[in-house]
Amino acid sequence: MNAFLTALVAFSDPYLITVILIGTIGGVLVGAMPGLSSTMATALLLPFTLTMDPIPAISLLSALYCAGTFGGSITAILVNAPGAPPAAATAFDGYPLAQRGQAGMALGMAAVSSVIGGIFSVVVLIVAAPLLSRVAYNFGPPEYFALSLFGLSMLATISGESALKNLIGGAFGVLLATIGMDFTTGVDRFTFGYWELSEGIHFIPVMIGLFAGCEFLTQASKLKEGRVRAIFDAVKLPGWADFKHCFGTICRSCGIGSFIGLLPAEGGTVAAMIGYNEAKRWAKDKSQFGKGDLRGIAGPEAANNAATGAAMVPTLALGIPGSATTAIILGALLAHGLRPGPHLFTETPTLLYAIFLSMLIANFAFAAFGFAGAKLFARVTLIPTEFLWPAVFVLASIGAYAMDQSIMDVWIMVLAGLFGFVLKRYGFSAAPIIMGLILGELVENSLKQSLIIFDHNWFHFLERPIVVTFLVLTLTSMIWPLVTLFRTKRQERKAADAVQS
Amino acid sequence: MSSKPSVDRAAPAARFPRDMVIGFCTVVLCAVAYWITLSFADAPAAVAQNVQPATFPRLVISVIAVLALALMVISFRKDSRPGKSVPAMVAMTAAMMLAFVVAFEAIGFILAMALFCFFMPVIWGERRWHAVIPFAVLFPGAIYALFAFGLGVHFDAGILGF
Repeated sequence: MNAFLTALVAFSDPYLITVILIGTIGGVLVGAMPGLSSTMATALLLPFTLTMDPIPAISLLSALYCAGTFGGSITAILVNAPGAPPAAATAFDGYPLAQRGQAGMALGMAAVSSVIGGIFSVVVLIVAAPLLSRVAYNFGPPEYFALSLFGLSMLATISGESALKNLIGGAFGVLLATIGMDFTTGVDRFTFGYWELSEGIHFIPVMIGLFAGCEFLTQASKLKEGRVRAIFDAVKLPGWADFKHCFGTICRSCGIGSFIGLLPAEGGTVAAMIGYNEAKRWAKDKSQFGKGDLRGIAGPEAANNAATGAAMVPTLALGIPGSATTAIILGALLAHGLRPGPHLFTETPTLLYAIFLSMLIANFAFAAFGFAGAKLFARVTLIPTEFLWPAVFVLASIGAYAMDQSIMDVWIMVLAGLFGFVLKRYGFSAAPIIMGLILGELVENSLKQSLIIFDHNWFHFLERPIVVTFLVLTLTSMIWPLVTLFRTKRQERKAADAVQS
Repeated sequence: MSSKPSVDRAAPAARFPRDMVIGFCTVVLCAVAYWITLSFADAPAAVAQNVQPATFPRLVISVIAVLALALMVISFRKDSRPGKSVPAMVAMTAAMMLAFVVAFEAIGFILAMALFCFFMPVIWGERRWHAVIPFAVLFPGAIYALFAFGLGVHFDAGILGF
């Protein structure tokens, strides 16, 4: 209770409120800009928050995260260009509504659903995180090893088609984390004689490179694509009848989004897609889906925002990121010398309440900004690419440099960007590599400690029920996408045979 | 000269499933990484406690290799479409990124930033000089002021003396 009151007192400081509002406006802006996701913005902003105190720094990043998820829906609805991947499903019905001159109605429903989803997820965070952290008190190195394996294996379920590539990416991230001095033995690994690499590769330049550097090159390949002007009427709140019509969809999506968000590695994009599919599946009249059904906006928007707070649960309670953006927030906690996991709840409860409060404020604030400034935010798509992206790259470079004021970090950022672009072309995504890089140290240390505890007898892992549970979940999450893939292929083959015969 | 050469360039990728080539390259990279781990020094047994510095990286490399082999096997079942060729603009932009870091070290941050902010929009086809020149001057100036004076970030002096 004392910690909560301390956090409340902290929030009476206008500086903190201003920081959260700046984070919210920034989040809506970057969310609205196609290519500039909240993940990238969080990665870019992280080095600059290192000069701040932990509470404003993490509050700023959390506000940006919440608002960025909503911001993507503005351009998805107005110009059919989702500002961020979680808003992709919103465009299916949002853009047709905008084309019919009902952009205001679509934006209004997106804002209302997002706020409900976002607040629901913060409630989930407030309730579930302390409970999970209490469970995590019983975790020793073997449990943490099994849990981090489970977190990495969940990368496979992000997409069935690229499940193996996601796993390879995650394992590659873990391998990157082994660069530098082995802290147990003091032996250098993969340093190739560069003393700068002895401390290992810091994840911040890699993250900035993989998100911002890679996107800079992607934009270079899309220069000839034209920009679309928004068709826009005044923002009009959905009426009571519209809200009643979508209420069931919003409630369902809140549950779906929170559940998906709680799973390590899953995030708003998956939640939004499932939210959309479920909205369609439960609808009695499906004929308007894809042509401008409000439930097609309410479903994904409530789901992707419900995933935001929920994704913070494993991040804060276990130190296992719930999504790509929370991986960066986890990195920010580590960079501020904080230890995510159950100890965070006993050592710095004020910070946790500050995160809860900042996310709540951000949820209300983005709705207000969304209504008041949607027309303005939609105009960010009109900023010429020729100026925007060079500016982003310069900011990315200085962000990488500013952390340790080392040119080596700028090289790492640029090389990560080039490497990320090549990987993206071959179907790999950046998020698994980041997850692997962040979890790598935990995986290695917990495995080493476990082996020492078990006197190198691997079978002792199977004597611990929590470890066995996580290992079974790990196997299931790795095998399930492959089973689904084979089943789909078999059904396709059967259907093709039936057509031929 | 128009589109035919790019189709020809993509032909080998279509002959072999794309994921098979990716899997094969990954296995080769794993072999190289494993070979590098052979050069890691061994730690005394009392310090290493039976987990040598190379043990964990080798374990991870083996996992990646197994996953890459699985990718190769699965690739046989997939249709493979030839990939699009990379536009020349991407190569130019990548070269500019590398040149920026070299310039950062050689001539100083502010000048490197100004040159990058001038040439990058021009390379991307921007010809509105009334916009390009102020962007190349004002943006680096504002960023430098924010970081050097506002956030106390130290930049080594460049050829301009700051």
